[in-house]
Amino acid sequence: MNILVFTKRVPATQEEELRIIEEGQGIDLSKVPFKVNDWDNYAVEEAVQIAEKTGGSVTAISIGDAESDEVLRRAIAMGTKDGFLIETEKVLHDPNARATLVSEFLKKEGISYDAIFTGVQSEDDQFAAMGGILSAKLGLPYSSMVIGIDSFEKDHVIARRELEGGLQERIKMTLPCVLSIQSGINEPRYVSIMGIRKASKVERKFFKAKAYGDNISSTIEVVKWVYPPKKGGATMLSGELEGICKDLLGILKEKGVFQ
Amino acid sequence: MLNQTQTRVLTCIQCGKCAGSCPESGRTPFNIRMLMRKKQFQTVVEESIPWYCTSCGACTIRCPRDVKPSEVIIEMRSALVENGEIPVAIQKALENTFVQKNPWGRSRAKRGAWFEKLDVEVPHVRETESKRLLFTCCIQAYDPRCMVIPQNVAKILNMGGIEFGVLGEEEACCGNEIRRIGESGLFEELQEENKAVFEEYGIKEIIALSPHCMNALKKEYGDLGIKISHYTELLAPMIEEGSIVPERPYNKKVIYHDPCFLGKQNGIFDEPRNILKAIEGIELLEFSRCRDNSMCCEGGGGRMFFEVEATYQRNAEMRVQEAVDKGAEIIATCCPFCVMTLEDPATEKGILVRELSEILMEVL
Amino acid sequence: MSYALVVAEVRRGVFEERNLDAIGLPTLMGKDVSLLVPDGTYAINEKLVNTIIKIKLEEAIFLNPLNIVSVIKTVMDSSGKPDVIVFTHSSSGAELASYAAGCLNLPLITDVNGFDKEKEVFYKSYYSDKIFGEFKQTGEGPFVITVRSGSFKEYAVEKASSPVDKIIEGIPVAEGRSFIEYVEEDKTDIDITKAEFLLSVGRGIGNKDEIPSYEELAGLLKATLSGSRPVIDKMWLPKARQVGTSGKTVKPKVYLAMGISGAFQHIAGMKDSDCIIAVNKDAEAPIFQYAHYGIIGDIHKVRDKLRDIVKG
Repeated sequence: MNILVFTKRVPATQEEELRIIEEGQGIDLSKVPFKVNDWDNYAVEEAVQIAEKTGGSVTAISIGDAESDEVLRRAIAMGTKDGFLIETEKVLHDPNARATLVSEFLKKEGISYDAIFTGVQSEDDQFAAMGGILSAKLGLPYSSMVIGIDSFEKDHVIARRELEGGLQERIKMTLPCVLSIQSGINEPRYVSIMGIRKASKVERKFFKAKAYGDNISSTIEVVKWVYPPKKGGATMLSGELEGICKDLLGILKEKGVFQ
Repeated sequence: MLNQTQTRVLTCIQCGKCAGSCPESGRTPFNIRMLMRKKQFQTVVEESIPWYCTSCGACTIRCPRDVKPSEVIIEMRSALVENGEIPVAIQKALENTFVQKNPWGRSRAKRGAWFEKLDVEVPHVRETESKRLLFTCCIQAYDPRCMVIPQNVAKILNMGGIEFGVLGEEEACCGNEIRRIGESGLFEELQEENKAVFEEYGIKEIIALSPHCMNALKKEYGDLGIKISHYTELLAPMIEEGSIVPERPYNKKVIYHDPCFLGKQNGIFDEPRNILKAIEGIELLEFSRCRDNSMCCEGGGGRMFFEVEATYQRNAEMRVQEAVDKGAEIIATCCPFCVMTLEDPATEKGILVRELSEILMEVL
Repeated sequence: MSYALVVAEVRRGVFEERNLDAIGLPTLMGKDVSLLVPDGTYAINEKLVNTIIKIKLEEAIFLNPLNIVSVIKTVMDSSGKPDVIVFTHSSSGAELASYAAGCLNLPLITDVNGFDKEKEVFYKSYYSDKIFGEFKQTGEGPFVITVRSGSFKEYAVEKASSPVDKIIEGIPVAEGRSFIEYVEEDKTDIDITKAEFLLSVGRGIGNKDEIPSYEELAGLLKATLSGSRPVIDKMWLPKARQVGTSGKTVKPKVYLAMGISGAFQHIAGMKDSDCIIAVNKDAEAPIFQYAHYGIIGDIHKVRDKLRDIVKG
């Protein structure tokens, strides 16, 4: 089972205070550390586990700047056979443009595969669309939100999709197909620094995005970045711990849930 | 490396001195003597076992044959780390350290938050003449409970006219716990990053606020050509010479707890005691296990980041009970990990835990 | 003719509430709304839209992305191209939207949570919801949009007259993907959606060993224990106790969140609670924007103090 898995290097913004600069045209990411997109980590782990079970190999692909090599090395350390970097000059926000780039790349390079995995979404742009658009462009069946793969046969896969409220649906798809992997599907293995260093010895292949079409233009654009509106905000309870807790219990009593 | 350990382990005579001093052996599934035996015969060790070790170092100090059992544990952990078979919580701590240079995963950009709104000036070390660096420590930079410690020490050094500077967000985790968890690659990266920064700013002296940081910088970073000390080593002579004077009394029964990384591993027992003795009103009490025999609080060796599976009475609880039984009102110590681990049971039993700088701030 | 095509999400005979957001946005944009629905019986307020196009495909087949493309193509053939095609931003909605946009080569913006009529921009969040982008489509329409639930509900209003009904049959069904069955989560005694007081814990509790002490607190306060996604992913609590879009949506009288930062998917699962109280050591945690009361502090200390006061 040969699987292509996409992995992205994203800024770690969970803990950071972000600043909008250039009068709304940019965001200051200069001091923000980068890491692998959480969903892609699950996708790589899933692909590697399936390849281990069925025999076959995994190739990791990343679209981004030269620094994105970092996430390819990490994927190799987790067990992918190799890594391809499609180097872009600017950040491509539009999932349509990204997917078009990838489909052109796969066609032009004549890359074969049984399945393509992506993460459900990336932590930076949160579009959750690249996988769907890509599968459409390649004419392949698609499922997003894959929370479990029940079986991977030669010509089809049985998987479970995560719906709302704890419900799942079981579906069958013919191969080749595209799956967007949901977090929680597995427990990604830890990759040590030494492991990543060893992975650096495996050759990664580098490609330039512009070789795959000058006609890949974006169909959407960001006019301006703004801060989210601050909502009314909570009434903050303050003071000594004892006083705060007594206030809290008072609120519970007022609402009638505690006597 | 592996050969060396194998050779050392073969000299083990199974005397049991290690297990006798180990805070975990005999009470949990972890038995250090038995692990050395297993290593001699290259028997498989269940993968949750090596994570009990608290890195107190007592086994290595007392071993008559130079087996260095604590290093053997680190090696066992290394093998698990390289295989990716480590508890999820440890994984998180390591990944956080990789991304944000602190195991808590807090923003690196906020590492200097503790001195931003302080009423004394805390310059960047490059602006100082003495090139004396105050090394903060991750937990003291981010945890609200421990943040007062660097704030206090900064104020006290200021009072005593000692010039110092900090690195702010350029400081990375010292890596002491990281090395003990067995992630040698990550430890090397942290070490390289810190060393490069020390060189860049021409650091001549480092005052460590945590005994863990002091241990790593002094003994595991190689020969830096930099004088490294724990802040109590500076403060004790300052009080003696009179550059800082405890003016107010502190009328409490205070029992002092020797942190493993300060005491038994680095031989600093007297300075903290001298500081306390110089304060009027303190009745200084001692635990029955004190100085190089001090009981480990079980905060080290990665235990700060995750919980082991076994349920047993924790050392911290027993330590606090002894303090209560001896009539102490305050448990004094000078390690943030000891402060954190002792404070939970202390709060339950109605006794306070105070870091040395907190006591000093009340009397200077 | 200018109109908006809204693809409804009907699942197990339920016309999902978030469809109202998908109807609300184009209504706000001032467009006539044509609602695409599958075959079957379900309750729906028909007056919210101008046209109802009923597709003779049952819901599971309708919600298959490979088929929805055929549906949309057929509709466009008979009714002309809409200006916008709107989906819910949900597990199905986002999937259908991306596949449709890809097949039909249309611009796509997902998870839209706002629209400015004057500037004609759509708001979409980035970077853990800390920044919003004002987006415009530059390519050729129709434009495809998925809407964040709760963002445009209030704009879905009843029209004066009943809608026009259309029926479309004979849509080819693709073979590449087929629905097998629904899979329910394990049935347990716990139904957090029925609780009137939830004590919810997040990754801020640190580790699994803290769970018993929060169970104890929940017991003392007569609250039901629940958790955010990270807590369930790590298996510190069973799936039945998960609050959030991939867990349960709850509307208790009181929702006490401890150590939960407030990721959007979690907020979506509890924001309609009568009273939200958040405890977190991070003053910047987004949850404080949705909470009615907040405490910035160490959750373990608050837990212990509450326990002591209630017991003592």
